[in-house]
Amino acid sequence: MTAKKNVETVGENVGFERIRRITGYLVGTMDRWNNAKRAEEHDRVKHSTSTMEQL
Amino acid sequence: MIQTIVKRDGRTVPYDRGRIERAIFKAAAALGGTDESIAASLAVKVEEYLTDNLHNTKPSVEQIQDAVEKVLIEEGHARTAKEYILYRAGRTRVREMNTGLMKTYEDLTFKAAVDNDVKRENANIDGDTAMGTMLKYGSEGAKQFVEMFMLDPKHAEAHKSGDIHIHDMDFYTLTTTCCQIDIDKLFTGGFCTGHGFLREPGSIQTYAALACIAIQSNQNDQHGGQSIPNFDYALAKGVKKTYRKLYVKNLAKALEAYADLEDAEDKVKALAAAVKERTGAVPAYLNQAPFDEAAKEELAALGLSEDTIKRAQAFALRHTEKETERDTYQAMEALVHNLNTMHSRAGAQIPFSSINYGTDTSPEGRLVIRSVLLATDAGLGNGETPIFPIHIFKIKEGVNYNPEDPNYDLFKLACRVSAKRLFPNFSFLDSPFNAQYYKPGDPNSEVAYMGCRTRVMANVYDPSREQTFGRGNLSFTSINLPRLALKSHHNVDFFFELLANEIDLVFDQLYARFKIQAAKHVYNYPFLMGQGIWLDSDKLGPTDTLEEVLKHGTLTVGFIGLAECLTALIGVHHGQSEQAQNLGLDIIGYMRKRCDEKAKETKMNYSLIATPAEGLSGRFVRLDKKKYGIIPGVTDKEYYTNSFHIPVGFEISAYDKIRLEAPYHALTNGGHISYVELDGDPLQNLDAFESIVRCMKECGIGYGSINHPVDRDPVCGYVGIIGDTCPRCGRHEGEAVSIEKLRELKKTYPGMPDYECYIH
Ligand SMILES: [Zn+2]
Repeated sequence: MTAKKNVETVGENVGFERIRRITGYLVGTMDRWNNAKRAEEHDRVKHSTSTMEQL
Repeated sequence: MIQTIVKRDGRTVPYDRGRIERAIFKAAAALGGTDESIAASLAVKVEEYLTDNLHNTKPSVEQIQDAVEKVLIEEGHARTAKEYILYRAGRTRVREMNTGLMKTYEDLTFKAAVDNDVKRENANIDGDTAMGTMLKYGSEGAKQFVEMFMLDPKHAEAHKSGDIHIHDMDFYTLTTTCCQIDIDKLFTGGFCTGHGFLREPGSIQTYAALACIAIQSNQNDQHGGQSIPNFDYALAKGVKKTYRKLYVKNLAKALEAYADLEDAEDKVKALAAAVKERTGAVPAYLNQAPFDEAAKEELAALGLSEDTIKRAQAFALRHTEKETERDTYQAMEALVHNLNTMHSRAGAQIPFSSINYGTDTSPEGRLVIRSVLLATDAGLGNGETPIFPIHIFKIKEGVNYNPEDPNYDLFKLACRVSAKRLFPNFSFLDSPFNAQYYKPGDPNSEVAYMGCRTRVMANVYDPSREQTFGRGNLSFTSINLPRLALKSHHNVDFFFELLANEIDLVFDQLYARFKIQAAKHVYNYPFLMGQGIWLDSDKLGPTDTLEEVLKHGTLTVGFIGLAECLTALIGVHHGQSEQAQNLGLDIIGYMRKRCDEKAKETKMNYSLIATPAEGLSGRFVRLDKKKYGIIPGVTDKEYYTNSFHIPVGFEISAYDKIRLEAPYHALTNGGHISYVELDGDPLQNLDAFESIVRCMKECGIGYGSINHPVDRDPVCGYVGIIGDTCPRCGRHEGEAVSIEKLRELKKTYPGMPDYECYIH
């Protein structure tokens, strides 16, 4: 194989950071959340910002 | 015929009857027995019992031990049996201690955090680093030590079985939870950090730097968070000092340039002192006229013309305002950066810092508020969202809530920043349980929150000291409400009986812990107590114990899973039925009543907290699943719902969620928080964002915040919502993007991060 690594690109294997609130404070990425909190975050029902006007 | 047995670790080894003999003889010998032949014949009986009665020819160690107990009792050796059981229990304890702890250590050592839930118990400790692992070794060892040797067996059993959860058990013998630090008092006259004396700060930069040091130093003396309740009021003094210094410099510069005044700075300094002496006026941010008017007399005395004076004052004003604003912004920027990078606890953890602000209407206080908000809005070096400090914006009618209020503009800004960065959260001083303490302009009377939710204010120990500063939580223990409901089999009266007993148990346990805490000395907490941070600790000497001053703190009963508890009791939770809501309020109201009674009786601040359930949300439900199986709406998820929250997966309008949760805020005097979850980018609809905050206030919420996704692509620096692909550079997660494209993008977004670090 002659395909050499293309140094003209960056970002391979670099993930996106997803910041969420746990119990009042934030964590930089969900990698460090414990299993239960991950499941909880996954289940959270989100309210749509577009329908908020009705409040 | 038994030839092999199964050991505890699962290995099969040859059977040896002699071992049974020796164990029995050992138990008998402890009671004075000397006849080895009896032990031998009993061992034969044990063997026969296993093979003939149980038809077990490959028993486990446990099964053999059970058989020994049975045979000893049946053969009339009750006392020996008792001794044997004790011996066996002792061995089990030692074994558990060794294997349990060593197994935990093994996992900590060889498993990455991604595979090890213990390492991720607290999301703000990086369990993969050396110091993070060291911290976990200590913490896991301490927990087991406390469980086995410190706790009353009743409390240990309740904790272990999951009836209750004793929080921060690793710190059980060491310290207390958290504190609201009055930095104004701390800075006045300077203070010590243990490594040297720090003079009273003289500029906004040093005020901000020392605020970080205060948080860091205090974090080393406690296991919970650290909060500054008067961030705006206290740092405003730093702005004042900066402004005065800069004004003197700038006026001197102007006089040197316009009028060739020699030794201008000394002369202006002397002049400012004279003006202050004569009229009381000082140079002041956005209130310069009184000083300028008064100073004309002294300036004229220096032989300066009216025109020169006017021009010089205009120059000084223009530059000083600009430079003060710049310095304040930079100080806040540095503070945010520091609080996200500085470490405590052997370098493994960033201090849990919170700052409360929003009500100082002075020009300097307003500048502090605006600057810290804008610094947070800008983010860290590459635009990352700061994780700390937790910002708590205090909402107060007449101060910042309505368009005619002096800080309304800052409330608007707080909404905008929160819509982008998740902070600030919002606290509501008009809610009756907070309003009752409020005195205008006195931050010590304004309820402040520890970021996670803890709140102190009432004080039965010393009713003349119902205040925020210098107080905090001592410890808290949570009750597993769904467990009590499951035990009660839909019988609500029985549930309340069980709850009453559980509350008693927790009171006992909190008090036992308090006795340990109270026996500590001032010298154990060189900063918290040694520097007088904790209320009244400045009246103590280094070798005094803490019993009396700690009584200003709170002993707190918490709870988890009201929603699952209600479902177990009556089939629906408080989001689903009015009846469940009423029962929910009865339950939490009862818990509060019990705390109030206990507080009155003991003159100690027992209070009720809506537990923040990070480590706990999975533990209780795991244990209950084992005990009761999977029960729909109760144990069918991986977590119990936080405190009194409506289950996160339940479809309900934001308004109804707020309306239903608000009454619980009034009941949980030890702390509370409600969340609203948004999808989409709230920056696109700031009016909606503000309306949620207003809704919280109108419903009587004490402390609330709004969650929404904040994503970031570290490669191109985009911050916002990222679905499958980055809206800015177009890459998928983990996908490479060409440098050429990034260079092109940089022309439009000059603040993009430096991607060189991704080229290896
Ligand atoms: Zn991107």
